[in-house]
Amino acid sequence: MTRHPKLSLFVSALALTLAAPAVAQDTAPPAATTEPSAPTTTDPATPASPAETSPPASSESSVPDASSAGDSAASETPTAPETATPADAAATDTAETPTTPADTPEADATAEDATPSAETAEEAPADTATETAPPSAGQTTVAPEGEAMPTAETAPTGTGDSAAAETPQSMARNAAPQPEVGTDWPFYGGDAHALRYSPLDQITRDNVGQLERAFVYRTGDMPSEAAAGKYAPETTPLKVGDALLMCSAMNILISIDAATGEENWRYDPQVSDDAIPYSASCRGVSIYTDPDAAADAPCATRVIEATLDARLVAVDTATGEVCADFGENGEVDLWDGIGERVPGWYAVTAPPAIVRGIVVTGAQVKDGQAEDAPSGVVRGYDAVTGELAWAWDLGAPEANKDGPPEGETYTRGTPNMWTAATGDEELGYVYLPMGNSSVDYYGSNRSEQENEYSTSLVAIDVTTGDPVWTFQTVHRDVWDYDLGSQVSLIDFPADDGPVPAIVLPSKQGDIYILNRETGESLFPVGSIEAPTVGSVEPDYLSGEQPVSEYHTLRKADLTERDMWGFTPIDQMVCRILFKQANYAGFFTPPSTDRPWIQFPGYNGGSDWGSVAIDPERGVIIANYNNIPNHNRLLTREQADERGLRPINEQSPGESGGSNAEGAGDPQAGSPYAIDVNAGWRAPGTGVPCTRPPYGGIRAIDLKTGETLWDTPLGTARRNGPFGIPSYLPFKIGTPNNGGSVVTAGGLVFIAAATDNLFRAIDIETGETVWEDLLPAGGQANPMAYEVDGRQYILIAPGGHHFMETPIGDYVIAYALPQN
Amino acid sequence: MSNIRVAQRSHGVGHWAVMLLALVIGALGVVLIGGGVWLITLEGSWYYAIAGAGLLITAILLARRQMAALYVYLLVWIGTLGWAYWEVGFDWWAQVPRVVAPTVLLIFVLLATPALGNRYRATVHEVPA
Repeated sequence: MTRHPKLSLFVSALALTLAAPAVAQDTAPPAATTEPSAPTTTDPATPASPAETSPPASSESSVPDASSAGDSAASETPTAPETATPADAAATDTAETPTTPADTPEADATAEDATPSAETAEEAPADTATETAPPSAGQTTVAPEGEAMPTAETAPTGTGDSAAAETPQSMARNAAPQPEVGTDWPFYGGDAHALRYSPLDQITRDNVGQLERAFVYRTGDMPSEAAAGKYAPETTPLKVGDALLMCSAMNILISIDAATGEENWRYDPQVSDDAIPYSASCRGVSIYTDPDAAADAPCATRVIEATLDARLVAVDTATGEVCADFGENGEVDLWDGIGERVPGWYAVTAPPAIVRGIVVTGAQVKDGQAEDAPSGVVRGYDAVTGELAWAWDLGAPEANKDGPPEGETYTRGTPNMWTAATGDEELGYVYLPMGNSSVDYYGSNRSEQENEYSTSLVAIDVTTGDPVWTFQTVHRDVWDYDLGSQVSLIDFPADDGPVPAIVLPSKQGDIYILNRETGESLFPVGSIEAPTVGSVEPDYLSGEQPVSEYHTLRKADLTERDMWGFTPIDQMVCRILFKQANYAGFFTPPSTDRPWIQFPGYNGGSDWGSVAIDPERGVIIANYNNIPNHNRLLTREQADERGLRPINEQSPGESGGSNAEGAGDPQAGSPYAIDVNAGWRAPGTGVPCTRPPYGGIRAIDLKTGETLWDTPLGTARRNGPFGIPSYLPFKIGTPNNGGSVVTAGGLVFIAAATDNLFRAIDIETGETVWEDLLPAGGQANPMAYEVDGRQYILIAPGGHHFMETPIGDYVIAYALPQN
Repeated sequence: MSNIRVAQRSHGVGHWAVMLLALVIGALGVVLIGGGVWLITLEGSWYYAIAGAGLLITAILLARRQMAALYVYLLVWIGTLGWAYWEVGFDWWAQVPRVVAPTVLLIFVLLATPALGNRYRATVHEVPA
């Protein structure tokens, strides 16, 4: 793993010298030689390389772990010449770093890496600057440039040029400095790294008690009769300049004044009710500033959203006017290449990621309908023109890269990405938390590619559209354990210095820390033997499954004594059900002879609310669910008896809404349909069959993965048997949906639970220090921003049909009283 | 005549309340025995069948208005507390289904005690008559 220091120095020097001519003159080559600190690297990055998910990665062969190597390494090599300034190539050659062709792409990856770090170093506070600077992990070829560049001080111009040479045919642009979180909240996840952290500290545990509503805005987007029982807006606005930018449940784009809540403009893309897949949700929007446009040109900065009816829409942030240069009159049709338009089958609910000028989006393919379902293809579009840059169709990566041939579609039924991806402007990667194949609970007829990529985090190089590495959290997923959380990018505080890393939470509750460049886990990945009891396809199942040895939010397997109820009788009924079901612990496979218990259920662990990370304190805040599902595969005959039909055989808008996801999904084309009792409620009373807490929130030491505190999230006030609110003010820990924001003031703000309370928690102790009763369910991620020196905390309580909280159209900002 | 008076007294509100309580407790007992035996056949907990039997005995004794109903029920209740602690310790939410309903029943049984033993006395009176 260690690199020879002298050699490394030599290589970096050589690289720089060679690079110099190709680069602007002011790139002082001497700087490189003054770069004594560089060759320190002992590559801490992959100290403990995961047992099975990745091969015992010798640092030399760095890049993609074996699982993805074949295809990505091969496909990437061609990019090298593009990117490579001659220097790069030379460096790689001379670099002794022998090994595989995989090196080449790696080399250019870090050349890119260097770019932003140098740039951000200029203007960005330590936080970001340090991120890329340190010599990173397991890199061989990489390190020389990686180290050399930052020391070269002058890099910005230099790298700018070299990067420009980078991609003659790629639509991707140069790495650009990213807007910062603080006064603004420019990304769905706060900053570009999706930390859900605000450096604002005006509101503290000492004064939070005085917090009051600064304004309440209502979007006016409430369900029509047809959409009743299908709303779950889940919206988090952006704050840019003086305005908050958001989308409503049905994708109406809205700008309001961030201090007063007065509406600036709105643009309604006219999404029809029948486009609602499972829920009408729009978690957020993204912005992009065209580096080539004059600041006052129309759409110089644009809001881009992806809609339920699968369009990308771009409007001017200042005026709400459609960006005529984007796609066709401001729109790109994502149905293109997907196949027959069945409203609600293919919908986008997450904000797109924008990396190096490429808008990356997947889509929610409504679960459980049919084998022959819309593709899970993930596509990149030019953020200015809306032109397709690439398509990553995991079933036909090369053939469909520029879209499928006329009359054909992207590979049908493949795993999709419905949640928010995270862009890595420095590396030019986008990290895709992939879901499972369209038929979640049966796998025997999946393709090898589906098996390879489902429920994995996949890094795609946006300059090429090719996968770089993949990290799978469930092998052969037959549990709907989609990766639902947006990953966060951090500098992991390793013993030998910070390592650019990714925090990846999963629905099983495992939290992984991965090297950003290689996808290797920084901590050991354990392996557990998976049960096969009752399985309808034991030969398909994976005999072992990965678990994180860094941290897991998952509680111990259920036992009979975990059964609950309000009286001994419903408790006894649940015990009987428990004993009757197939259950052999975590990863008990689907069965049809009798029901099986899935714990944790598909709501997590961690779902789309993701985790928040305080980089200063080094603390991860994770809220989680702790609820099982009680499921059963239905034979085709049983499914027919129940009249289960896929969405394309129903009338528009017929499906979706009140039912739990999977409560009777046909899985047409597979031998079995699926019936899910989400949250496993007792028949009759509706009381959960397992004991509380059903959800909690936890603080985790980022460096060690140790729990700092852990407490149930949510009171019992709105829960009770037969759906009757108990008004009990006791903490019980309810199911929750939505995440938190952490502020430098030492507070965690979160609603998420089903008690409709918005609360501030002391990050040091886990104690709730303030709360406010919301007019609707708080199933949305809150955010923080500042206007004229006043800090605001904002949440958009919109409720959630499945969480059974009141639906609303509110946007509520809180602040301390003025004077 | 005295025995008639006793009979009248015993068919007042108190009598019907105790009978209703006996009926409720008896019904719960039967359900718990049924489910509890089923659970035992599934290799589950024996508590429910045993507690159900205790409730059924309590119900019969209540119907016969014997003070022993209270003692049997106290035994069930104390046994329940011990079992509940053994299963889940001081996890208060987990205690809810185990302890709340049995304790509510205990309150009703205690309320019924003034009406218990009447029949016994009535019998005593009857003998000399």
